[in-house]
Amino acid sequence: MTDVSAQIKKFQKELNSGTSALVLLSVLSRSKEALYGYQIAKMLEESSPEFPMMKQGTLYPVLRSLEENGLLESTVEPSVSGPPRRYYMITSDGRSALEEWLGIWKQTKKFIDTILKG
Amino acid sequence: MFNTTEEYLEALRNEMKDADPALLQDAQADAREHFSTALAVVRDAKPDLNEADVLKTIIEEYGSPEETAAAYREVERRTSPALKQPVKSQSAFGRFLGVYVDPRAWGALLYMFIAFVTGVFYFTWAVTGISVSVSFLIFIFGFPFALLFLLSVRGLALLEGRLVEALLGVRMPRRPLFSHQGMKWFDRLKALLTDKATWLMLVYMIAQFILGTIYFALIVTVLSISLSFAAIPVLQEVFQQGAMFNGGVRFFFPVWSYPLLVAGGFFLWTLFMNIVRGIGQLHGRFAKMLLVSE
Repeated sequence: MTDVSAQIKKFQKELNSGTSALVLLSVLSRSKEALYGYQIAKMLEESSPEFPMMKQGTLYPVLRSLEENGLLESTVEPSVSGPPRRYYMITSDGRSALEEWLGIWKQTKKFIDTILKG
Repeated sequence: MFNTTEEYLEALRNEMKDADPALLQDAQADAREHFSTALAVVRDAKPDLNEADVLKTIIEEYGSPEETAAAYREVERRTSPALKQPVKSQSAFGRFLGVYVDPRAWGALLYMFIAFVTGVFYFTWAVTGISVSVSFLIFIFGFPFALLFLLSVRGLALLEGRLVEALLGVRMPRRPLFSHQGMKWFDRLKALLTDKATWLMLVYMIAQFILGTIYFALIVTVLSISLSFAAIPVLQEVFQQGAMFNGGVRFFFPVWSYPLLVAGGFFLWTLFMNIVRGIGQLHGRFAKMLLVSE
């Protein structure tokens, strides 16, 4: 009975920490041009407006770690209004990783669905 | 709740005070970029909105400092450090020889070589930049020149940090220190001049010249002495030349001493590699002290 909402939050957070890299890679693979952090956050927000899936601040460390691992690359470019922005692009390594991750994701989804149906 | 970006960054600093300062610097740079970008986008779309309210919403959507700090810590935990710790060998002798399979020792050796070249460059850049900036200040274009120079110092400090992380395995910032956006360039110059970080970076660039020279001299000296010891048997047996000089006369080392001479050269170099690894760790700490702002 103690703090159900904290439990929900924790569950959501744990799910997100597993899926956010997949989500970010897939967003960037579908985009023709390089995207900056705020743009990506807005796109994610629009795909689930009634229930925000993740806090925007948690995207940045994931973007950085994907770049660190060579799945993304980034450039800093000045903008007309406001500060310079860091634009992210998916690399060819990123695309092949995404393909494999999607396979794993589909299997996981099938497995969970089977279990939940009982 | 937070009304300004600075308040949020301060709370983030408190939340991450146990974390690596380099990680905190990255987290703050990301948050600052996000807030100012979001603010600029909203300002363009709806100029009539109250800026303070907009910022509040942006910060709310970004997540609380606790959540943000937790996300960075989580990702950092999963990202393996640049150089992995080698498996510890049990005996003291094994540890002594183990230096040859330790990537940190080889990284440190390479870094010490490179430090000679970068040190000369940093020193030249810093000294030229400072003296030209100061003397140009009597002209009006001296101010933008000084600003450009100080910004270049920040860029070089980031670059040096990447080098230190790659070769010495010390976590360093992966994003530049946030620059003060939306300020007039004169205020930016003032902010850079009053920032302790700028001066520490300049001190590092000048110190690197001295350290780089010492490192280079050390490597060359120890390498040539070690190689000379090992080369004595070759010199005597193949070239029939005595390796010991005394008053212009060459003497020969006795044959039974050959294994000792070669082993001595090898021992000296192994000892030096162990010292190099230590120097690398010390230099990493020194770089972190001067190049990562509190």
